[in-house]
Amino acid sequence: MTTDDLLGVTEEGTYTRAVRLLERSAEVGVLRAALGHARGGDGSGVAITGDSGVGKSSLVDAVIAETAAAGFEVRVLRAHCDPLDTPRPLGPFRDLELLGAAGDPRREDESRAELCERVYDALRSEPSLLIVEDLHWVDAATVDVLRFLARRVEAMPLLLVLTYRDGEIGPRHSARPLLGDLASLDGFTQLGLAPLSVDAVREVVSGTHLDASRVHALTGGNPFFVAEVAKEPDRPLPATVRDAVLAHTTDVTDHDFEVLQLIAAAPDHLDNRVLPHLDVDLPTLRRLQDTSLLSRTADGLVFRHELARQAIESTIPPGGGPRLHARLVVALETIDPADPAVLTHHAVAARDGARATSYARRAAEDANAAGSHSEAAAFFEIALEHLETRDPEERARLLLELAYQQYMTSRLSEAISNVRATFRLWEEARNHEGLADAHDAVALFEYYNAHREKAEHHSETAARIALDATTPSTYGAARATQGFLAYLRNDLVRARELAAEARLVAERSDLGVLGLRSEVVTTVSDLVSGDEAARATLLTQVETARDRGWDELASTVYSQVASLDVEHGRFRDAEQLLQVSIPFANQRDIPICRHWQTGVRARLKFQRGRWEAALEDAATVIGDDGMPLATLWPRLVSVLVPLRRGEDAELGILDDAWSLAEQIDEPLRRLSVLAALAEAAWMTGRTDHRVSDYAVSQLAVLGACPGAEWGAGHVGAWLRRLGLPVPQLARVAEPYRLADEGRVAEAARAWQLLGDPFAEAMAWTDSVVPEDRVTGIRLLDSIGAVGTADRHRVVLRQEGSVVVPQRPRESTRANPAGLTNRQLEVARLVARGLSNAEIATQLFISPKTADHHVSAILTKLAVPNRRAVVVNSAQLGLT
Amino acid sequence: MQRFIIEREIPDAKDLTQDQLAEIARTSNAAVESLGVPYVWIVSYVAGDRIYCIHDAVDGEAILEHARRGGFPANRVTPVVAEFGPHTANV
Repeated sequence: MTTDDLLGVTEEGTYTRAVRLLERSAEVGVLRAALGHARGGDGSGVAITGDSGVGKSSLVDAVIAETAAAGFEVRVLRAHCDPLDTPRPLGPFRDLELLGAAGDPRREDESRAELCERVYDALRSEPSLLIVEDLHWVDAATVDVLRFLARRVEAMPLLLVLTYRDGEIGPRHSARPLLGDLASLDGFTQLGLAPLSVDAVREVVSGTHLDASRVHALTGGNPFFVAEVAKEPDRPLPATVRDAVLAHTTDVTDHDFEVLQLIAAAPDHLDNRVLPHLDVDLPTLRRLQDTSLLSRTADGLVFRHELARQAIESTIPPGGGPRLHARLVVALETIDPADPAVLTHHAVAARDGARATSYARRAAEDANAAGSHSEAAAFFEIALEHLETRDPEERARLLLELAYQQYMTSRLSEAISNVRATFRLWEEARNHEGLADAHDAVALFEYYNAHREKAEHHSETAARIALDATTPSTYGAARATQGFLAYLRNDLVRARELAAEARLVAERSDLGVLGLRSEVVTTVSDLVSGDEAARATLLTQVETARDRGWDELASTVYSQVASLDVEHGRFRDAEQLLQVSIPFANQRDIPICRHWQTGVRARLKFQRGRWEAALEDAATVIGDDGMPLATLWPRLVSVLVPLRRGEDAELGILDDAWSLAEQIDEPLRRLSVLAALAEAAWMTGRTDHRVSDYAVSQLAVLGACPGAEWGAGHVGAWLRRLGLPVPQLARVAEPYRLADEGRVAEAARAWQLLGDPFAEAMAWTDSVVPEDRVTGIRLLDSIGAVGTADRHRVVLRQEGSVVVPQRPRESTRANPAGLTNRQLEVARLVARGLSNAEIATQLFISPKTADHHVSAILTKLAVPNRRAVVVNSAQLGLT
Repeated sequence: MQRFIIEREIPDAKDLTQDQLAEIARTSNAAVESLGVPYVWIVSYVAGDRIYCIHDAVDGEAILEHARRGGFPANRVTPVVAEFGPHTANV
């Protein structure tokens, strides 16, 4: 065997070599077994990790070769992530002929969700091995598609293999969520590749005079480095891997060496079709073949290994790079279709500002169309950085585009400062419409950033400027935004006035979307003030918006209805709505609504006593870098759940939530946080002036706002428990009124019907009758609110009560509140009588995983069998 | 030099316009010039979903290299072993 064989390349082409692996039999075995299962329909994922040169690709080569040799009928799909500074959206899928011809895999106007479905269908049509290499370079759109697959892979005939370098996928990396999804799969394996041992090195250098121990010490057992050393055994040992690579080039002429540098300057590959424009002839390629550094793929020339490319790239003298890249840009421009992402990379490196801006802008538009917003933002940043024109409008437009992409990726503060930076530019250009639009845009961003006051200021400014500029659409839009903000602070009179004004503009200028926006403001104002018929009207308005393709408006209406449903105790309605609306916000890629509605769901699960599911949603919003506005309830949930369960709670988070509520300055938001602060004060026995002073003095004012009868009733209940004076409230929601009137059983029953077991229990414990309080404590114990129950036990004992229910033992405790979102989903299907096989099909999981879920659910619900789940589904809250 | 017949599968090749053929010819000429080895493109025929090309080159590798540089498919490359016609009857 020659040493080349150790790290040979299997890419088709002239330089193919056979492959032999050392010390990888365990890893090959894992992959072989996983592939076997995948062929039978039990798909899984494998991650191959390790340093550059450790042999990740070689391992993949070996498995592919073995697959072919064994006559396995498996379709092999191998893709690479782009090594460009900013990767192309869906770069890996361009390599594959999975979705038709190679090239941009998207169809015109195809949404991300549709693309995911198409990839899914194409992959499950026959047993497949999908390899995505160099995941550390992956783009955000590809991550989305791979996550979609990862969630379904268990029920697909697919083995998904990902390779990446250790330590290059940190906690903020866009591939991190994908790795999280994969890690939760039953059959997921991570293969961390270790360097070669001295014995393996000895095998590689056998037949030469090289000393295996010295080579091992020098190379650290890195297989690529070892192989490079072994190829030139008669030379002095190179000090570094770079020297080892460069040793192959000692006989190369200056001309040929420059060609190597040119190829090294193209990080992905040097397209075959540019060779005529770069004076690289066939005899040159034949000579370069002798260096064994290059390989030929269907697309062009590539270095056999990234370490080899880097070694050659490092020889490019300072100042030489721009010249090479300029040659590449000119050559690449002749290719049809030219790839703007690749051209941007070279134009930037060539320091060609005009080209960099123009290609980066095109690349950004492509990335945006593909839904790859982090890449789109990066390209717009490049375009701005290299913008040479003095035209203020052009700069302003680019800044707005960048800001939008930043909003799409939860970088709100940057988005706001970029929109603000356009104000001066629009003024300079005397473009009032542009200025008004910019103020309107920043108004929404400021609101999502939880600064309502600033939001109102900008939306007023937008309206004022637009009025001067006599641009009806902008003026109307600004008025509608103002109306929406007025509704949110419960100033419904003003909200209706503004909406009416916007509607008038819409009618006069025939602006459909503005007309519907203003109607929504009016209708949602009706709903918050208690007109429940308005709910049906809003849902009709959603349908209209969806039909016309006004996705953001549709999603915003969902957000408001869901939020009011939970606020006003319509939990089952909220549940149904969110089942539709969250997938819609995901599909249409509307981040603010995705975060907001997930936050609303956290609150919903929390109120329904689904502690685990509530925490899960709360963590998603907070961990996802959710918009500040959407994090209010997730923060409250993440403190109150552990507090109620008797676990360690980070009470400081409540201070953050209060600051946020002050900043948002809306009655319903303030009431929510005040109730949480009061509950924490009751649990800990600590005095909180926000409760004892602010809440006591302001509750009447806050409670007088339309729609506040639930929130105010809630705060009032906690003030009473704390022994604080409760101001007279004009109107409180029914269950609170019953409790105020001392009608304990009726209040508890009302909460039971609504589906809020914690409030139900607390209604019992509010009673003066000891037996009622025992009932309440037992109920709290049964829903896992042991912390709250303990607090009651202390109070009862202090009062000298003789009947204090025992704290339940951990092991005997049923834990329906511990069901995760996934388990809840499965439990609902069990309650509907579906078999495990049917559940597996519906949820795209393997029957084995469905089995696991069902047994975990039966344990947590403490029921003997699935029939008990069906029979007791209403009682278990699974209807 | 050796003569080769190259079969290129191009869907709807028969619908290529004169302008498109001219563009292809320019690309092909540039690829020929860039090879740095003796190479002659004799003629090509468009027929149905295929283009049949007659090229003279030193070896098959040069034929494939030309195709790569032009971005053309080369689905089958066959050396020509004999050439004959009506006149062959009189030999």
